[in-house]
Amino acid sequence: MRAWVLALRDLRLEMRGRAGLLSAFSFIAVVLFIMGIAFGPEEANLRRAGPGVLWVALAFAGSMLASRAWAIEVENETLDELLLTPGSREWIYVGKLLFLWLLMLVMGAFLLVLVAAWFYLPLSSWPQLFVTLVLGATGYTVVAAFYAGLTVRLRARDVLLYLLVFPLILPVVLAAVKATLGIVDPVADFAEVVSWWKLLGVFDVVYATLCVLLFPAVIEG
Amino acid sequence: MVEPVVEVRRVWKRFGRQWVLRDVQLAVEPGEIVALLGPNGVGKTTLLRVIATLIRPQRGEVRLFGKPAKAIEQERGWIGLVANPPAFYRHLSGEENLSQSLALSSKPVAAAEVATAMERVGLPAGRPVAAYSSGMRKRLALARTMLQKPRLLLLDEPETALDSGGREELVEVIKSAASGGAVVLATHDHGFAGEIASRLVEMEAAR
Repeated sequence: MRAWVLALRDLRLEMRGRAGLLSAFSFIAVVLFIMGIAFGPEEANLRRAGPGVLWVALAFAGSMLASRAWAIEVENETLDELLLTPGSREWIYVGKLLFLWLLMLVMGAFLLVLVAAWFYLPLSSWPQLFVTLVLGATGYTVVAAFYAGLTVRLRARDVLLYLLVFPLILPVVLAAVKATLGIVDPVADFAEVVSWWKLLGVFDVVYATLCVLLFPAVIEG
Repeated sequence: MVEPVVEVRRVWKRFGRQWVLRDVQLAVEPGEIVALLGPNGVGKTTLLRVIATLIRPQRGEVRLFGKPAKAIEQERGWIGLVANPPAFYRHLSGEENLSQSLALSSKPVAAAEVATAMERVGLPAGRPVAAYSSGMRKRLALARTMLQKPRLLLLDEPETALDSGGREELVEVIKSAASGGAVVLATHDHGFAGEIASRLVEMEAAR
């Protein structure tokens, strides 16, 4: 319950400040524009590159938002207040995770539509694409929210976040790209897509459990 | 025998190679208002943060409410900390800050109670904290303390930026908090400390 209160409050703050969302959406627009020009104008090339562009853009924009989730506390100097709340501190991580997850899903859906339009991805398989988005975004946010919390007190947190998160989320990006490719390719075997979903699901459950268990220890000063 | 609310036992704390607290001892009994005095850099704020369990000392032990500080979880909600300057979310209004803060501390309060507290400290409704002066932020911190009703209130230079009306309100809040627990405040103002505190503790720079 408290985790939802925290997530909704952060969403409200983000909607009023808009600093993180504006940066993330501008970044996405620039990436799509550059990649669209670089891989175009051949439809086959664009269609092949689309899933990779989608997930790489989402991963980098997600790092900006993950950093933002904790920067809210640093800018307002309110981290101490959160740490002084009663009970174990897992809920703080879960709250930040929910905030980031909701933003990633909205951004991912928006990005999917843009990539579909520009890179000729068929949206007829949208339920499968949505499942991939949910599984991939969950794996990504579980790790990014954890490391963004771990580095929140450091001056070089933004640089460190990329260095810490990207090696770990490589399996998520790879599995999500492969699953997306399988979904948009009409001759691909759907069983292969399901096996990538399973990998993403296992990653999500294992990392979510580990991060929830470890968070109270790492957030202590 | 009644346990002290706070017990600081031979605490040492350094930042980098610089010792800020060296062998500090302090016990605060229920009902006490202890004022930590001393020039800048003697470690008053650091000691408050160590007591609040926000930073861990290199050596020594802190006990709160009769328990080791590292073992408290639920009791953390009994600690009220007013930093200098007090921390609030700038894009939220005063009322939103109060209600969110209390909801996250598992002490949700009705909107009417929040409105009464805001009125009592003389703050206008609906204005974002970004538009508050430092004195208004201090008043908002007082309103939060009134609603939070902590059993241990820690205040860092609470009197600065407050006008005479704000100071009177502050004295009332401190006395009320001490009647249900204990108060530790850090200040440079000997006059204010002498007026409010039941014990003055002069701190010296660690060498």
